[in-house]
Amino acid sequence: MTLSDTIAGLLGLNANDPLQFFIAAIIASAIVGTFMLVNVAIAGPWAKRKITAAFTDRIAVNRIGPFGLMIIVADAVRLLSKELIVPEKVDRPAWDLAPLIIAGSALFGFAVIPMGSGVQVADPEVGLAYVFAVASLASIGLVMAGYASNNKYSMLGGLRAVAQNLAYEIPLVLTGVSVVLFAGTLRMSEIVAAQTETLVTIAGIGIPSWYAFVNPFAFVLFLVANLAEVGRNPFDTPEAPTEIVAGYQTEYSSVYFVLMYLGEFIHIFLGGAIITTIFLGGPTGPVLPGIVWFLIKIWAVFLFTQWARSALPRVRIDQLIEIGWKGMLVLSFANLVLTAIIVGVIA
Amino acid sequence: MSLEEPGPRDVGLTKAGEVNYDELESLLGDAVLDRETHLNAEAFVIRPDAVQDTLSALKEEAGFDFLNCVTAQEYQDRYETIYHMTKYDDRTQEVGVVVPTSKDDPVSESAEPVFRTADWHEREAYDLVGIEYADHPDMRRILLPETWQGHPLSMDYDQTKPQIVTLRENKNPLEEDQRLNDDSDTMMLNIGPHHPATHGVLHVEATLDGEQVADVEPDIGYIHRCEEQMCQQGTYRHQIMPYPDRWDWGGAGLLNEWAYARTAEELADIDVPEYAQVIRTMSGELSRILSHMLAVAAYALDVVGDFTATFMYGMQDRETVQNILEDLTGQRLMFNYFRLGGVAWDLPEPREEFFEKIRAFIDDLPEKLEEYHNLLTSNEILQVRTVDTGRLEPEVAKNYGATGPVARGSGIDYDVRRDDPYGYYDKLDWDVVTEEGCDNYARLLVRLQEVEESAKIINQCVDLLEDWPEEDRTIQANVPRTIKPEPDTEVYKSVEAAKGELGIYIRSDGTDSPARFKIRGGSFSNLQTLPEMAEGEYIADLIASLGSLDTIMGEVDR
Repeated sequence: MTLSDTIAGLLGLNANDPLQFFIAAIIASAIVGTFMLVNVAIAGPWAKRKITAAFTDRIAVNRIGPFGLMIIVADAVRLLSKELIVPEKVDRPAWDLAPLIIAGSALFGFAVIPMGSGVQVADPEVGLAYVFAVASLASIGLVMAGYASNNKYSMLGGLRAVAQNLAYEIPLVLTGVSVVLFAGTLRMSEIVAAQTETLVTIAGIGIPSWYAFVNPFAFVLFLVANLAEVGRNPFDTPEAPTEIVAGYQTEYSSVYFVLMYLGEFIHIFLGGAIITTIFLGGPTGPVLPGIVWFLIKIWAVFLFTQWARSALPRVRIDQLIEIGWKGMLVLSFANLVLTAIIVGVIA
Repeated sequence: MSLEEPGPRDVGLTKAGEVNYDELESLLGDAVLDRETHLNAEAFVIRPDAVQDTLSALKEEAGFDFLNCVTAQEYQDRYETIYHMTKYDDRTQEVGVVVPTSKDDPVSESAEPVFRTADWHEREAYDLVGIEYADHPDMRRILLPETWQGHPLSMDYDQTKPQIVTLRENKNPLEEDQRLNDDSDTMMLNIGPHHPATHGVLHVEATLDGEQVADVEPDIGYIHRCEEQMCQQGTYRHQIMPYPDRWDWGGAGLLNEWAYARTAEELADIDVPEYAQVIRTMSGELSRILSHMLAVAAYALDVVGDFTATFMYGMQDRETVQNILEDLTGQRLMFNYFRLGGVAWDLPEPREEFFEKIRAFIDDLPEKLEEYHNLLTSNEILQVRTVDTGRLEPEVAKNYGATGPVARGSGIDYDVRRDDPYGYYDKLDWDVVTEEGCDNYARLLVRLQEVEESAKIINQCVDLLEDWPEEDRTIQANVPRTIKPEPDTEVYKSVEAAKGELGIYIRSDGTDSPARFKIRGGSFSNLQTLPEMAEGEYIADLIASLGSLDTIMGEVDR
C-alpha cells in the first residue's frame, strides 16, 4: 500500500483511473517532497553548523531562537534577498537550468524510498534501478553549471565532477546489485522486507538480518562510494575550496546558489536514504514508528558525511580517479562475484 | 667533500676559519676598484661589467654560496648595488660586493646567471631605484604596476605627483586569453589576487595543461606599502620600531622587531642587558609558535579543505599564546614591544601568575602536538598528498636563497639563531630541526618540530627569569634620546624570523634617520622557489606547495 493509494482512498478517488490516481500521486509527492525539504532546511543552515562546531570544538549559532534554530529563517531571508548576479557571457539557459536539475534530480529519488508508516509515493518493480538512474542525473547539471558559467574554475570543477561521478557510479551500482542478489528483487519494499528476519540471537537480543550485517564488506564499499557520489571529504574535489574556489558553483549567487546548495544536501540525504533502505533495514526497528527509525538512520548517515568532512584531508583528483577505477571498481566486482557464488551455493 | 682537505671552495680563509679579505681581493684580481668597510663585513667595490665573474669566483672558489640580499641605492654622484653574500655553512662569514654605476648610464651586469635569487632582487632594484641590469632574463617592474612612471626611491622622483593606475591601464587580468586563439592545449588560470588559498594578495599566473601545471609565475606587489621609504623617514630611536610588526601579521611581529633592533644596535653600538635579552628570546619564541601554528593550521585548510578540525585546533592553541603575549606587550598583533637597547617594560606583575600561564601552555603542548600528528602528519591521505610533492632540492633551494623552515625542510642545516648567534640563544640548549624530505611533508614536519624546540627555549628562559635577582633587572640600556650614527656607516644584519631570514640594511648619513633602509624578507626569496616546486605537478600540489612555503605578503611586498 503506497502513500498514493492511501490518499486516493481517503479522497475517494478511483486508484484504477489514471487521471484520478495522478492527482493522488501528486499530493503524495508534495507531502514527501516537503517532508524531505524540511529535513534539508534543518540540515543545511543549522545542523551542519552545529555538527561541524562539535567536531571542531566550537559553539556555533546559539543566539537566534532556542539552540539558534531561528538561524534557518535568518539564512533564508539573507540568501533569498541577495542580488542574483548573472555574469557576462554565461551560456543561458543552460546556466539557469543547472541549479534546477541538481536540486530536482535528487528529490525524484525519494519517490520510491519506503520511509515507514506507509510513506512511499510509489513502489515500482525497478525501484532500486530507478533511484540510481535519477540520482546520477545530477551529473548533467554539474556539467551544465561548469561549462555554462564561463569561468575557468567552474569549468575545472565541472570536469572533475563528471570524472568523479563516472569513476564512482559504477562501484556504487555494482555494490547495490550485490544486495539485489541477496534479496532477489529490485522492489524497495521487498528489499526492506527481506531484512526483517533475525540473523542471530546474542544474549537474547536478536540481530536483524540487515545487509550491513550480512555483508559488511559491501556496506563499507557503498559508504565510501557514496561519499564520492555526494562529493564530501575526502572526495570533495569538484568543489575543492582553497583549490578551485568553489568549483562548478563559483559563479552562482542568491537563489541559484540556494538551489545548488539545496541540491547538494538533498543528495546527501538521498544517499542516506538508499543506504538506509538497502543496508540498514529501511524503516524497520523496535518500539518507535517506522518513519522515526527512517529519520534516525538517514541522519546517522548525514552525521557520518559531516564527520568525514571535518576530519579527513582531500585526495588529489588523479588519486581520486585511481582509487575509483583501480580500487573500488575491482573490489566491487570481487564483492559481486563472491556474493553471486555464495547466494548460488546457498540457494 | 671532506672538510679537512682544502678544497677549491675554501679560498680566502685564515687558519682560524676567519675570512681573509686580502686573499679574496687577490682572487678577484683587477675587477676590484676599491675596498669599503661595512660594520658587518668588508666589501669590495668592483667594475659594473665584472659582476658575474666576481660573484661566481666568490661562489665557486671561496664558498660564498648564499646571495643573501641585493640592496640598491642612489648617491649624489652614482648609483650603487650591494650584493650581500654569505655561506650556508657559516653565517658569520660575510662579504659585500659593491657595484657602482654612473648616473647617466646606470647599467651593471646582472648576477642572475650566478644566483637565481638575484632575479627578483634585481627586478626590485630596477623598479624602485632605477638601476638596469644587463643580461637579466626578465627586466620588468616587480612591485609597482607596469605603467608606473619613474622610480620612487631615486632622487629625481617627484613624490608629490599622484599616479593613479586604473585597471584598464594596468595589465588587465580579465582580458581575453590570447592562447585561446592558437591551437595550444593549455589554459591560463589566474590564481589570486583574491583566492581562498593565496594567504594574502598574491597573484599566481598558472598555465594549465589539463589538471597539470605547465608554468607558474607569481605576480607580487599588490600590497606594496613603501615600508622602506617610511622607515627612511622615521627616526632611529622610536619611529621605526612599529613598522616591522606590519611585515608579518601571522604573529611573528616580535621576531621582525628584533631584526630592526639588532641592526640598529649594531649601527649605534648599543649593548643590550642580559635580562632584556632573555625576555626578548622568550617572547620571540612565543611569537614563532604563533606564526608556525598559523602556518600549520592554514596548511590544513589548503590540503584538507574548508574550516576543518585541524584549523580550529590550531587557532585555539594560538589563542593561549596570544593571551600570554597580550599580557606581556599589551597588544595582540602589532606588539611594538622591543626598544633599541632592550624592551619596553618588564614582565607583568604578578610575575608568578605570568610564569604559571607560560608553564601551563608548555606542559599542555606535547599532548596538543600529538593531536596534530594524529590528524595531519600520520594521516595516510595527507601523506599521499604531500610526500614527494613540491620537491625542492637543496642545491636549488640554495641557489634561490631559501631560508627558514623551507631551507630546513630541504635538509639545509641553516639557522641564524645558531649560526650567527644573537639574543640569548647560544647559552640555551636547543636543536636546529632539519628534514631530508625536500617536499611539502618535510616542511610541515619542520614547523611542527620547531614548535617543540621553541617550547624548549621558552621553558629555559622562564627558568632563568624566575631566578633572576631583583636588583639586576635592567630592561633597557642607556640609549641617547637622539641617535645619530657616523655618516656613511653601512650595516647589514639579519635574524631568524618565522618565515626565514629577515635582514635589514641601513646606511646612515649623520642625521637621526636612515639614508637607506632595505628589508630582505625571507618570504620574498622563498616565494621565488614556487615555480621550481609546482611546475609539472597538479593544481592541488601547487596550492599545497604555496601553503608549505608559508609566505606572508607583508614581507614580500613590503
